[in-house]
Amino acid sequence: MIESQFTSIEKSILAIAIIVTLISFLYEVWRRLRIVLQGRDSLPFDRFGARAWRVFKEVFLHEKVIKDRFWPGLMHALVFWGFIVFGLVTIDHFAIGFGHPIMNEQTHTYYSYIVIPFSILVLIGIGSLTYRRFITRPKVLGKISPTSGLVALFISLLMITYLLGEANIDPIMWRINWWIHSLIILAFLFLIPRSKHLHLVLAPFNIFFKPFELPEHTPVNIDLEGSEDELDTMLSDLTQMTKNQTLDVFSCVECGRCIDVCPANRGGGLLDPKNHFILDLREPLLKNGNVDVLSDINVEAGWECTTCQACTEVCPVGNHVEKSDEIRRLEVLVEGKVPQEYQKLFTNLQESGNTEGRSDSPLAERLPTYTSDKEYVLWLGCFARYELDPNFTKSVENFANILDVAGISYGVLQKEHCSGDPANRLGDKLTYNMLREHNMEQLKEADKVVTLCPHCALNLEKEYAKYSEVNYDVSHHTQVIAELIEEGRIEVKKGSDGKVTYHDPCNLSRMLDEVDAPRTAINAATDDFFELEESGKNTLCCGAGGGLWWKKETKGRTHLVRAEQVVDSNADTVVTGCNFCYGMMNQGLKPLTPEGRKEIQVKDVADIVSENLISNISVK
Amino acid sequence: MKIAVLIKQVPGSDSSLPIQSDQSWINEESITYVMNESDNYALEEALQLREKNDDGEVVVISLGPDRVQKVIREGLAKGADRGIHIQVDSVGVVDPLVTASSIANAIKEENFDLIFSGLQSDDLGMGQTGIILGEILGMSTASLVMATELSEGRIKVKRELEAGFFQWVTMTLPSSVTIQSGLNTPRYPSLKGIMGAKKKEINILTPEGSDPKQSMSKVYIPQSDKKTVMIDGSVDEIVDKLIETFRNDIKVI
Amino acid sequence: MDILVVIEDNNGKIHRMGLESISAAQSIAKNKDLSIGVLVMGANADELSNEASQYDIDEVLKLKNDILSSYSSDGYAEGIKQVIDQENPKYVLFGHTYQVRDYVPKISAKLMKPFLVDNLSMNSDGEKFIFTKQMFNAKLYSDMVAMGDGPLLISFQSAAFSADNVESGSASIRDISVTIDSSMVKTESDQPFQEEAGGMDLTAAEIIVSVGRGIGKEENIPMAQDLAKAIGGELASSRPVVDSGWLSAPHQIGSSGQSVSPQMYLALGISGAIQHVVGMKGSKNIVAINKDPEAPIFEIADYGVVGDVLDIMPKLSEALKEN
Repeated sequence: MIESQFTSIEKSILAIAIIVTLISFLYEVWRRLRIVLQGRDSLPFDRFGARAWRVFKEVFLHEKVIKDRFWPGLMHALVFWGFIVFGLVTIDHFAIGFGHPIMNEQTHTYYSYIVIPFSILVLIGIGSLTYRRFITRPKVLGKISPTSGLVALFISLLMITYLLGEANIDPIMWRINWWIHSLIILAFLFLIPRSKHLHLVLAPFNIFFKPFELPEHTPVNIDLEGSEDELDTMLSDLTQMTKNQTLDVFSCVECGRCIDVCPANRGGGLLDPKNHFILDLREPLLKNGNVDVLSDINVEAGWECTTCQACTEVCPVGNHVEKSDEIRRLEVLVEGKVPQEYQKLFTNLQESGNTEGRSDSPLAERLPTYTSDKEYVLWLGCFARYELDPNFTKSVENFANILDVAGISYGVLQKEHCSGDPANRLGDKLTYNMLREHNMEQLKEADKVVTLCPHCALNLEKEYAKYSEVNYDVSHHTQVIAELIEEGRIEVKKGSDGKVTYHDPCNLSRMLDEVDAPRTAINAATDDFFELEESGKNTLCCGAGGGLWWKKETKGRTHLVRAEQVVDSNADTVVTGCNFCYGMMNQGLKPLTPEGRKEIQVKDVADIVSENLISNISVK
Repeated sequence: MKIAVLIKQVPGSDSSLPIQSDQSWINEESITYVMNESDNYALEEALQLREKNDDGEVVVISLGPDRVQKVIREGLAKGADRGIHIQVDSVGVVDPLVTASSIANAIKEENFDLIFSGLQSDDLGMGQTGIILGEILGMSTASLVMATELSEGRIKVKRELEAGFFQWVTMTLPSSVTIQSGLNTPRYPSLKGIMGAKKKEINILTPEGSDPKQSMSKVYIPQSDKKTVMIDGSVDEIVDKLIETFRNDIKVI
Repeated sequence: MDILVVIEDNNGKIHRMGLESISAAQSIAKNKDLSIGVLVMGANADELSNEASQYDIDEVLKLKNDILSSYSSDGYAEGIKQVIDQENPKYVLFGHTYQVRDYVPKISAKLMKPFLVDNLSMNSDGEKFIFTKQMFNAKLYSDMVAMGDGPLLISFQSAAFSADNVESGSASIRDISVTIDSSMVKTESDQPFQEEAGGMDLTAAEIIVSVGRGIGKEENIPMAQDLAKAIGGELASSRPVVDSGWLSAPHQIGSSGQSVSPQMYLALGISGAIQHVVGMKGSKNIVAINKDPEAPIFEIADYGVVGDVLDIMPKLSEALKEN
């Protein structure tokens, strides 16, 4: 390092340049933050410790960035860690410009022993990422982005100019090099807020504020007896984004991981979560200067979403990507534009309290009725009650058998109505609230509820709670089974189902945060268990969620993507924890199984456990 | 431009249909009722015509006991301006002459330009009320309409014919047309519509109808006495047996 | 006369459902000494009355009128109403066609006499006739009776009676006339047209190979085309297949498509919903393949296979080609 004196003119220019750039930077950031602050609801500060820990893991350890795309993720991590290390370097660099370096010569030299290797790593990182973006060109990154090119150039030049600055070069060259380095930094600062590189600033905050519960959508309280003004206010609120959602849009780094994991997109549908749910809203936000932009979401794409939250789970900057709830509720409640097949579904829910428009359930009549002396309410759900897949009826009976053997008392609610999940996910909040109120009344005396349907469980436990307090606890049947096994209240032997795998239902694994219980149950019943690709919280949705089970003609093959994976895995048996997944596997596996291969068996967790239960009360 | 839409309230397609012990009709207590499907399309067509012409009144009319006010309100929630409830204990009213003449007596002072109704009801399936009503009121009529085009004093309709044929028919107003399902995408009532419907007027009338000329003597579940010959076995065995059947029994090859 | 049969023109020949109505009249008149007249009208009245006179009926009424030379609902309704006034039949029989549904209700209104529609049968209980029709999308049957005297306007569902059973004979032709002036006709019709190029006349086919939703996807249609070719039949389908765009509209059989009664109808992956069944139940032999043993198609099938059409079709084609 050469101790150099910069002239007063140079220092003045530097000062002005820094000030101008900072003002521009702060203005653009503030411009966006101001819009964020106009958003609905408040930014969450609860569970501060958990939030901070999450920031540490996902930002400093780059957990999600690396996990989902290992090599590009690691390369990015190198660049990121390099950035951290360079923080001090940058401050020192400008300080030198003003003649007051913050590190003395010794410290500077020792620090450079760390920084120089890092700058090489950064060069490797940025080099491979540039190659990937501009030569390999994965589709999810979208069109060639000039700003990305510029940033890649800047970062590379910064590293090179840094290294030159540490080398013993001609003083005039050194000075020129120094100015280049400075100007690039200022140019970078200028560019950051105007591009996706704003994630550098916003991502840590966005990750801090990310909701813990998935999905997160504002509840829609509808008061039919309210005044016209109240209704108007409520309706106009529906087009307003929340603060968190707005922050998401500005934090998006356009990496396309959400597209990679989206089942609708992978099935060949129109939906592109990155653009439809996030980037399409950026221009409207900036142009309007307010958050009244939800009606800009592409309607057709919005109807294709299975609401599986894979996009939200995978986003490395903490975005709650999915916004089908927002656009669907606008279409239903404000516009009255509902696809035909869903109109029949809504009518059935309103007139008969269930998705099928039926009035009788032979299954419900065969099972004991709930009275308050019984331990559990066995919540059936429309799928089981009205035999949307007749084979699943046996699964319910198998679970009842397990409860009988364990000596647990239970009963069904004769006046059980649909939990409302289809109405909730499809935007018909009016019908949803109608069903919710009815069910809350039926559950008044209930203490513990167990159900085989994760959609029901999610609504009864978490979604209902967004509207009013719930007085009962909800378990998924796999949780009860796992508990019984762990407590030794039932004994399960290893059965012979060949190679067994498990498909995690998205509502259970991601939204109810349950991946272990089903595995405990399955591993008790088989020795030959293997994991599918994309399992656990990274599970690939079966395609039936978000009301899509009732969508008769789908353009894409969303509903077959996961089935194909199961066929390709060469499993003999696939176990699921959700009736919709069960039904989808039954429908999807047969046509996709190649000639000559044995049909893959589809079982629910209750099936594989009950079939291998050591003492049976009623032999199945 | 005054458009009337006839709407019938019928059992839902998945509703159970328990027959009364005397087989005279179904037990109405356990039925879930909905708006007749083709009437829903007729209503949508009327609302779209009204929107296209930027003026006019759409009136929904339903005949039956008090429960039919529900489908009238649905029509109002979707955008109709007012409703007419022709109050009748409809159990046993199966003669479209009676239905049509009652409606005619109720609305003859209204002088509607257009009357839209669904092609037929999903319960009785007579498919006549709209045409008979039009004839009684001296209107031009057309059935199985798949598209409508309104112009000065006339309406042009696209009628569905057999074997994939269609035909455009120009009719003078006033006109009564029966509408086939599938010609448009019916709207869903918006929240504002649902709230606003509560304030819209429903006029309850009890007009005279003609004497019935046909009645239902019995309702029952169809017995089938056809014996189907089932062919089973492995795929190869089935194919062989089928070929044998084609050749020796049906004699087509 | 007692029974007046109104037939429809199918390009100079009596429409199949008109023959079915004549067959119905003959069946009703049997042993009851009821006279049968057949009303023929329109531009092809001459050819039609020649054909009609070869059947075992009492007389052919030939109505030639300029205004009635092409169909209009006002014209036909008024014209036939006048014929009814003149001839005073107790029963007027029609086939339940789209055209009949369009104008006969108007006759009902003019006469204030009932139109008993879409009947499966008309049976006497000794005193009066009982008309059986389907209701609630064919889930239930109802027996209807007429009140008061005739004339009763009656239509029969396609294939309720068989055109093959019409008995031959000979009948005289009588010219009749009605008074209609053009101001009575409030409509003007354009030429009928088809929406796709290339019409298919499935009604002439001896063998029809028909596919439904069970075919799974568009990629499997060639398999069915193969089979149709191998067996020497025509390819048809139910409405959902056409709605999905896998086949064009002329292939459609059902209440909103063509009505057929071939020697053999092969129903592949078709559930048997009433809207489809109505278009093919007149088939002489129905062979159904469906993987759902509860599918309603098995109720009307003569031969049934519970199996996967995707497995059976290719093997069947192969076996047929070998033979």
